[in-house]
Amino acid sequence: MTKQDFRIVGKSVKRDDVIEKVTGEGKYTGDYHMPGMLFGKIKRSEIAHAKIKSIDVSKALAYPGVKAVLTHHDVPRVLHYGSPHPRSASCTKDQYILDDRVRFWGEGVAAVAATSEEIADEALDLIEVEYEPLPGVYDIDTAQLPDAPLIHDVGPGGNLVIPPVHVERGDVDKGFAEADLILEGEFAGGRPTPTYMEPNVCVADWDGSNKLTFWTSTQTSFMVRGALAEVLGLPLNKVRVLVDHMGGGFGAKQDLFQHEFLCALLAKKCRRPVKMEFTRRETFVAGRSRHPFKLWLKQGFRKDGTLVAREMKVVFESGAYGSHSPGVTNVGTASATSLYRCDNVRLNGRAVYTNTPIAGAYRGYGVVQTYYALDIQMDEAAEKLGIDPAEMRLRNAVREGDIAPSGHPIIGHGLESCISHGVEAFNWAAKKGAPDRLVAGRPSARKGYGIGCEMHGSSAYPGIKEQGNATVKMNEDGSITLLTGAAGLGTGAHTALAQIVAEELGVTFSSVSVVHGDTDVVPWDIGAFASHTTYMVGTAAKMAAAELRARVLVRAAEKLQEKAENLEMVDGIITVTGKPGTSLTILEAMGPSRGIPAEHLIATGSYMPTKSYSFGAHFVEVEVDTETGIIECKKVMPVHDVGKIIHPIAAQGQVEGGVQQGIGHTLTENYVIDTSNGRSLNAGLVDYKMPLSMDMPDIETVLLEAAPDPGGPWGAKGIGEDPIIAIGPAIANAVYDAIGVRFHHYPITPEDVLNGLRAKQKDGANAGL
Amino acid sequence: MTKTVLDLVVNGESRSFAVEGHRSLLDALREEAGLTGTKKGCDVGDCGACTVILDGKPINACMILAVEAQGAQITTIEGLQASPDDLHPLQQAFMEHGASQCGFCTPGILIMAKHLLESNPLPTDEEIRFGLSGNICRCTGYTKIFDAIRTAGKRMAETGMALPATKVEA
Repeated sequence: MTKQDFRIVGKSVKRDDVIEKVTGEGKYTGDYHMPGMLFGKIKRSEIAHAKIKSIDVSKALAYPGVKAVLTHHDVPRVLHYGSPHPRSASCTKDQYILDDRVRFWGEGVAAVAATSEEIADEALDLIEVEYEPLPGVYDIDTAQLPDAPLIHDVGPGGNLVIPPVHVERGDVDKGFAEADLILEGEFAGGRPTPTYMEPNVCVADWDGSNKLTFWTSTQTSFMVRGALAEVLGLPLNKVRVLVDHMGGGFGAKQDLFQHEFLCALLAKKCRRPVKMEFTRRETFVAGRSRHPFKLWLKQGFRKDGTLVAREMKVVFESGAYGSHSPGVTNVGTASATSLYRCDNVRLNGRAVYTNTPIAGAYRGYGVVQTYYALDIQMDEAAEKLGIDPAEMRLRNAVREGDIAPSGHPIIGHGLESCISHGVEAFNWAAKKGAPDRLVAGRPSARKGYGIGCEMHGSSAYPGIKEQGNATVKMNEDGSITLLTGAAGLGTGAHTALAQIVAEELGVTFSSVSVVHGDTDVVPWDIGAFASHTTYMVGTAAKMAAAELRARVLVRAAEKLQEKAENLEMVDGIITVTGKPGTSLTILEAMGPSRGIPAEHLIATGSYMPTKSYSFGAHFVEVEVDTETGIIECKKVMPVHDVGKIIHPIAAQGQVEGGVQQGIGHTLTENYVIDTSNGRSLNAGLVDYKMPLSMDMPDIETVLLEAAPDPGGPWGAKGIGEDPIIAIGPAIANAVYDAIGVRFHHYPITPEDVLNGLRAKQKDGANAGL
Repeated sequence: MTKTVLDLVVNGESRSFAVEGHRSLLDALREEAGLTGTKKGCDVGDCGACTVILDGKPINACMILAVEAQGAQITTIEGLQASPDDLHPLQQAFMEHGASQCGFCTPGILIMAKHLLESNPLPTDEEIRFGLSGNICRCTGYTKIFDAIRTAGKRMAETGMALPATKVEA
C-alpha cells in the first residue's frame, strides 16, 4: 500500500447511527405501529416428526377479534430453499411455507391474524391439529444409520442435505508414511445460538396496486425481497423491503423465515397491515443455531513439528431443513485445508437432516467447528514433540503464497505476525514457563494459558460470486449522500463506509450522510454477512467516490484554468499544487446557478471481490476450580490482522463481542434438544447461559495492519467473524494447561471438568470426548 | 375488554391512557405512550432491555402491569437528556467509547447506569458489573460499556449531576 496521510480513515469518528441508539429514537422493526394493524402468531407443532392428518381452524376463526387463519391448505405450495442465500442453490429445495408434515418440534403449522397479540395467542389454542406421528431422528449418529427414518423425500439420499464435500490435495498416504508422530481424535460441539437481543420481527402492508411493503429485521433485504417475490409470484418491483436499525443478527438473520412469508400472506388476506414478532422462546425454537458437529481428525507430524498429512471427516447437523448447510459444509470442510499449512490433505464434509430446530448461518460459519479440532490437536502434537505451542504454530502457520481454502494464494504473513506479536505482548514464554499453576488465595484453583489461531475470508467467494455496490451523489449544496444496500446490523459498517467515501472524495466526514435499508432506493446488495461489508462494499464506495472526485476536479480545473491532475481536494476545498492562495470550494466548482447544479454528480461503484483472509491469534488465561469444576476465563488477548483499520473502536468492538460469544460457546452455551423426542429443553435466556457483565474477562485487543489486501479499501479486510473462532480452542488448550485434562468438545461444563479430573486421578487417562 | 385510565408522569410530563388490565407497563409505554425507545427483548424479565425507572427504582417494565404503575413517576430513555441538543453524560460517553453496537440493549443499560451513577458516581469495576448483571448485551463484550460508565460517572461527579435529590436505595 502506498504511504498516505489519512484524515478520516483510521480514526474513531462519531457513529451517526449511535446518536439514535443512545436517545432511543432509532426505529427498529418492532417499533412500527400502524393504524388498523393486526398481530400475527404462529401455531407450532408439539411433535417433532409427524404427518398432519387434519387441522380444524373453525373455532379459532369464530373467536372474536380473529381476522384470518392460514394452514397448509391456504398458502401457495411453492417449494423453496430454507434460505434464500445463493449458496443454497447447491441445496435441494426442501421447504414449503406450510406443509402437511412437520419435521421439528416447534415448526409452524398455522398462522393467525387478530386485533391484538393476546387474541391471536388465545386463538392458537383453538386450532385443533391431529397428527400421525412418524419415527424421529434426533442426533447425528442416528441420522446416518442405513435404516434411519427419512426426513425429506428430496435430496441426494439418506438424510444427507447435499452430496458429501470432498477435498483432496497432495498424497495423504505418503504424508502419513513420512510422519514421526500421528495423532487421531474425535471432536464434537453443541448447539450455540446467536441470541441477538432483538427477536425476529416483521410488518407487512399491501397497497392498492398489489405492492407489498415489508419491514423486517434482516441482514439480507434483497434476498428477502427475492424469496418473497418468488413465492408470492410478484415481480421484484412489487416487493419493497425495509430495515432501519437492527438489534443484531450475527449471521442468523440471513435466512428467510417461515413467519415472514406468513406475515405477508396474512396481510394480503386481511388487506390490513400485520405485525409478527417472535417471543424470546421462538427465537430459539424457530430461529437458527450454529451446526452441532462430530469430527474425526488424523494428522501426521515430523519431529520438528512440521505437519505432513491431514485427514478429516466432519458431519454437521442441519436440523429439519437445509438452510445454510451447503455453505457451512463447504466452508467448514475447505477451511481445514489451511490455517496450518499441509501439502497432503483429505477432507470429507457432510450435513445431515435431523428432526431438530434448524441450524443456519452463524458468525464463524463451519470454521468454528473445524478449527476447534485443528487447534486442539496442534496443542497435543506440540506437547508430544516437546515444542512450545506458540512456536509449534509459528512453524506451521500459513504463509504468503500458500493456497488458501478458496484456492487463492495467501497474501502476506498475517498469521505469523499475530502469533509473534501476541507471544511478546502476552508475555507468553514467562507465563507458560511458570513453575506451577497455583492461584494465590484459592487452593482449589489452577491457572492455565492457551493459544488458538484462526483465519477467515472477507467474502463468501468463490462459493458465491458476490457484488458490492455503492452509489455516491453530490447534492446541490456540496453535501454527499451515500446509498448502500448493506444492512446496519450494529457493527458500525455504515460509518466505515462514510469514512471511506469522505477520505477518497476529499470532503469532511460530517458532510457524508448514509441512506440504507430500502430496496426500492438503494443499489442492490447481497447482504451483510461473510465479514465482507467494509472489504467489498467499502471498495465499491471508494470507487464511486473516486469517480465523483475526478469529475469535481475536472470542473474545478476549468474554472481555475489548471490541469485537473494538479489539483488537490481536502475537506471540500480544492487547491492547486504549488500555488498556495488559489482555492475553490466544491460549491464554487460545482455549485448551482439559479439553483441548478453545474452537473448532477452521481456515481455507482460496483465491485466483485475475490478472496482475502484476515488472521488472528488468541491468548487466554483461565482459572479452573478443581472442586467445583468451574472454568473462569480471566484474561484474553485477541490479536487480529485486519489489513487496514478503518474505525478502531468499531473494529475493537467486533473483536470484544466475538470473544464474548466464543467464551459462551466454549463454556456455557448449548441449546439442548431432548434426543428422545426432539423437544427444546432450554429455550430461554435464563436456561441458555451466556456470559454477561459478571462473567466477562479483561480483554486487551490488539489490531495489526500486517497483511493489507489489495482488494479492500487501502488494504482493509473483514473482522466480523474472525474473533469468535480462535477463542474456543485457546480456552480448551488453557484448561489442559491448568489441570492436565484434554477436552475435545464444547461446551466444557463444570461436570465435564470434575469427571475429567476423576478419570485422570483414576487411571491417568485423559477424559476427552 | 374493560380499560382503566392510567395516569402517569412520564419523563416529567403528565400522561393519561386507557389500558386493558392485562397490559404490561412496557406495552403501555411502547404502544399507548408511543415511547418505543424502551425495548422488548424477552417480555419475561430476563434481559433488561425494558429497564425504566419507576419512582426512583429501576424495574423491568415487562414485569409489572400497567395498572400497577398508577400515579407513578417514570423515566424512560426518552427522558434521559435534558433537551434534544443536550445529551446526558452517559449518552455522550457511550458514543465516544463505542459502547453501543446494535443498540437494542442500550436504552435499558443507560437507564440502569443512570440509576447506578446517581447514587454512586465513582463505582468500582465490581459495582459496575454487578449493577449491570440484569442487562444482557450480546454485541460488545461489555468492555466498552464499562469504560463508558466510568467516564460518565467522573463527569457526573464533576458537574454535580450525580448528587441524588433523595437517597436512592442501592
